[in-house]
Amino acid sequence: MSNPYRILGLVLCLAGAVLTPLFYFLVGSQPLTAVSISSIMLGFTSLAISNARPYISPEACQMLLATGTENIAALLEELGLRNRAVYLPSSMQNGFMRAIIPFVEGDIPFDSQHKLPRRLIVRYGKNSDSVAIAVTTPGNVCVKMLDTIPGPTASDIESALTYILTGMLDIADSISMKETGSNIEVEVRGVKMHEDNAWYYQCIGSPVASIAAAITSEALGKPVQIKEENSSKADKRERIVLEVKD
Amino acid sequence: MRIYNRLIIYLALAFSVVNSVLAFAGQRDVQVYFILDLMAYLIITLLYVYLNPRARGALTAVNAVFFTGFGVIVVLKIINIIKP
Repeated sequence: MSNPYRILGLVLCLAGAVLTPLFYFLVGSQPLTAVSISSIMLGFTSLAISNARPYISPEACQMLLATGTENIAALLEELGLRNRAVYLPSSMQNGFMRAIIPFVEGDIPFDSQHKLPRRLIVRYGKNSDSVAIAVTTPGNVCVKMLDTIPGPTASDIESALTYILTGMLDIADSISMKETGSNIEVEVRGVKMHEDNAWYYQCIGSPVASIAAAITSEALGKPVQIKEENSSKADKRERIVLEVKD
Repeated sequence: MRIYNRLIIYLALAFSVVNSVLAFAGQRDVQVYFILDLMAYLIITLLYVYLNPRARGALTAVNAVFFTGFGVIVVLKIINIIKP
């Protein structure tokens, strides 16, 4: 009963149900009757929206997120890894989605024929130094929330990102996307989530960047790396440049 | 502002505008108020395509109930017209 939308909905519906016959039959005012009918409509909308509230509290979600983040950050710090993660599509990993953090920096070609095993330490190329650790990121989890995988066009990916960031998670106001060669520039406005674990986010990217990279990778069926990430807390904007790797 | 708060605020504003304009225009038929409120409601809720699937499903059910009300009004009007 602590759900504010449910309380608002019940109050508006009850008030509307009591006032409608009162205004129509006793007062005889059509405009006031219309206002009470509008109150019922608004009440039903509020009751419908109350379904979207999660069953567990945001504090409990934050606790689970912090646990996962700190465990991976500890692992990265222990291994001394500071390279940026490469987001791989499920087609390169036997159906599941993860990002890999290479041990060695630089452009190492991916072996597209070789599917990555479901292990922590994986070999992703033919070279002897193409070894990485594979981790599940916020973006990889979000891809599972999509009903269908978006098409490879920028507008399809933009729609999928808007659905996840604005509709499902409600952590941004709007998203725009621009394709320039092998790079994809994403601008997110009204970002409500800011990072605090520097090491973790340097490798994986911020939650918003991680989601953008994972969805883009799955849509294009190619590895994607977060090349650049600039955020402005004052403007609540985040600019992300994604590099599509072949 | 959360997307759900925005939806409720826009609906409240739309209802206020529609009801005020009709009241100032001297409209005396409550069915006209309901139909115009319903149109504003359907337009605004349809614009929110990116809502959570659970909320979207519940809103679709609410839309269906209101639309049934609209259907009943239309049927009553038709009966009134064709009644000898």
